[in-house]
Amino acid sequence: MGLEIHDVTKSFGDKLAVDHLSVSVPRGSIYGFLGPNGAGKTTTIRMVMSILFPDSGSIRLFDCEEAMTSKDRLGYLPEEKGLYKKMRAKELIAYFGRLKGMSRVNANEQAVKMLEQFGLGHVIDSRCDSLSKGMGQKVQIIATLLHKPDLVILDEPFSGLDPINVEVVRDIILQLKRSGKTVIFSTHIMEQAEQICDYLLLMNKGKKVLNGSLADVKQAASDTISLEYEGDGSTCLQNLPGVVRINDMGKAAELSLAHDADPQQILQQLVNQIIIRRFSVNTPSLHEIFVRAIGEAD
Amino acid sequence: MYRALLVAQREFLENIRTKGFWLSILMMPIMLLLIGIVPILVSSTREPQIFTVIDKSGWLLPAVMLELNLNDVSQYLKAPVQDDRRTPLDKIKPSLASLDEQGLTTVARAVINPAALLPDTLPLEIRNFFRTHRLEISDWWVGLATADKAKLDPRISHNFFRFEDVDGRDVGVLNQAVQDNELFAYFVIGETPRDDSDGFRFVSNNLTDRELLNWFNRGATKVVRAERLKAENIENDIAEWINTPPDFESRQIGDGGEEEQVDSTDIVRQWAPVVFVYLLWISVLINTQMLLTNTIEEKSNKLVEVLLSSISPIVLMGGKIVGIALTGLTIIGSWLLMALAFFFFLPQLLGIELPFDITSVAVDPWFLGSFFVYFLLGYLLYAAILVGLGSVCNNLKEAQNLMLPVQLVQMLPILLMVPIGRDPNGTLAQVLSYIPPLTPFVMMNRAAGPPSGMEYLTTTLLLVVSIVAALWFAAKIFRIGILLTGKPPGFLQILRWLRTPVTDRTVMAINPEIPTVTQIESSHHER
Repeated sequence: MGLEIHDVTKSFGDKLAVDHLSVSVPRGSIYGFLGPNGAGKTTTIRMVMSILFPDSGSIRLFDCEEAMTSKDRLGYLPEEKGLYKKMRAKELIAYFGRLKGMSRVNANEQAVKMLEQFGLGHVIDSRCDSLSKGMGQKVQIIATLLHKPDLVILDEPFSGLDPINVEVVRDIILQLKRSGKTVIFSTHIMEQAEQICDYLLLMNKGKKVLNGSLADVKQAASDTISLEYEGDGSTCLQNLPGVVRINDMGKAAELSLAHDADPQQILQQLVNQIIIRRFSVNTPSLHEIFVRAIGEAD
Repeated sequence: MYRALLVAQREFLENIRTKGFWLSILMMPIMLLLIGIVPILVSSTREPQIFTVIDKSGWLLPAVMLELNLNDVSQYLKAPVQDDRRTPLDKIKPSLASLDEQGLTTVARAVINPAALLPDTLPLEIRNFFRTHRLEISDWWVGLATADKAKLDPRISHNFFRFEDVDGRDVGVLNQAVQDNELFAYFVIGETPRDDSDGFRFVSNNLTDRELLNWFNRGATKVVRAERLKAENIENDIAEWINTPPDFESRQIGDGGEEEQVDSTDIVRQWAPVVFVYLLWISVLINTQMLLTNTIEEKSNKLVEVLLSSISPIVLMGGKIVGIALTGLTIIGSWLLMALAFFFFLPQLLGIELPFDITSVAVDPWFLGSFFVYFLLGYLLYAAILVGLGSVCNNLKEAQNLMLPVQLVQMLPILLMVPIGRDPNGTLAQVLSYIPPLTPFVMMNRAAGPPSGMEYLTTTLLLVVSIVAALWFAAKIFRIGILLTGKPPGFLQILRWLRTPVTDRTVMAINPEIPTVTQIESSHHER
């Protein structure tokens, strides 16, 4: 296992930030920590980084007892990103590398190499306050990755990036996975997670709501029916077999189905009572799955 | 430990790239140059003040002008020989140097008036010289233009005051001239100066510059006094003897318990610590301020979280304090080198001899040693306070509010500098030495005393204990404060943090999603 969070609880005063959370992150996977703002993602990540410490429960990294001793094998890009404005790009990157235990020579060499790899060869000696936002973000990512960490934690890596840089960062994450690293990243934008995650953890109010591989999560979620109709749907939409939730908008409706529901049977029942303009059975998007899951949890 | 040094190194390298660092370094030569150059600039750009005199007595003015002229000639006689401006008296300048004021006045009289007698008390060389060159000398002096007289020595009065004859002009015209700034001032001498000061006036629109008045008054006093003595048949010598005050010679007890003469170096030595205190105060202030600014910058830049993912808050804090201490030592080291260069080499270069041996005071190992030790101790104490304070603030403005009480304490050493320097081993000085935030400054202030070894030991011990305690408290505040966002905590709240134990772990910190101070506290409480 890359990371094993076992029954971790963390509270700030009377506010429970993380509530009995258990997650296993396999090595070499991309793991998405998802959830609305205030769900406890950042607190969980800070505990993994040993910036905060759990009130109870344990966190094991790379099968070591003490997370503290593995700090140098971690790379962390916090949600709020900053640079030393007056430092030059190469210096800054090398400094963070050395804080992770790299030698001076090695850190400098790697910094130049990675800057060039990321297409920033022309700003090696530029001061950080002269970099554009995208360049600054890349510099921070390089600083996070310079010491070749085995586990990379990216807190909201896409926030504030333009579409081109979103592509760049996504490629970096995929590249990390290909080279056998474990990546955890948090986001509240589900589409991004759906595109690249192997595993997902959905949190809400400090609790685990959904957890598993992307395929499992999607499979576990039942289908929905989108419907456009004419006539009085108010009564006939009720009492349909296998429908667990209805969102009726008068001329259109969204029906959430139970696992064993038969769309065929529902259609038959409906055609007798209203005029069907459109009828489609959809596999839900991650977004829908999560909105539903959080709705149910509430 | 290694990583703390990395933090220190980065801090140092970043600071020496700032403008503030180089301004601090340049402050010393600029200050020294100002001290050296400004007085020269002021006197060289100053125009002589033009004045005139209405003499109703008919006799006082010429007598006063003669008296003032004698002063100028004496001044010239004392002045060193100028190679580019030869004068007839250059040959006997060396023997003139041995004369006292009275002797000089006698010679001066002979320069102005070829008929004046030279008494036997004067050295033979001077008398012989005057016997053969008397006329040549007086011709030279009488023929010398006022402007040229002024050039003989910068202290000659023609450089400052110029007399303009106004025979026949009435008061109304003079008042107008004063009003129009054509005339700096005019004097009116009454009809009976020997008896009283009736009708004596000094008319000017400048109320602050009394130099002209004092200078003219000194000449007038001398003349009038001589006239009054003559009228009462009192011998000049007797009058002078009556006027001579009793004179206490300053002595001090040397190391061997013997009385010693006090020379100017001793007086400089006595006051030298004041200069060191001032430098100490500035350096501590500059460097702790730097630490505060850097801490807040790191916090508001959101860099702290990245740093804390690699190192513990205690390592971060330690590294910062050490890095800025190095910056401070670099600054004061460079000041010292420049001051030495200024006092050692500049006088040699310009061929000036300082009136006292400043270098022996400036490089006194006791003063220098105390200075560096007290810089480090003072810096550490204030660094601990400010780094703790900076860690709870999100911007400089918040910090300034919290800084106010600290700044009040920091002002004290400057206010106390002179009273302590005057009585370095007095009760006030002794008591203040035991107040840790003041100890470095007060003890530096007292270095000329110097305080007893016991006092050094106890005050230093107390100071070191306070530093350790302050650093301990700072660490407790820092590890919580540095991740805190939102409104800075109050004094009582900070006090409660101090009760929680310090470990290498950040026991608690706050997250932008859930930041209230009361929550942190209660969480600490529960642990």
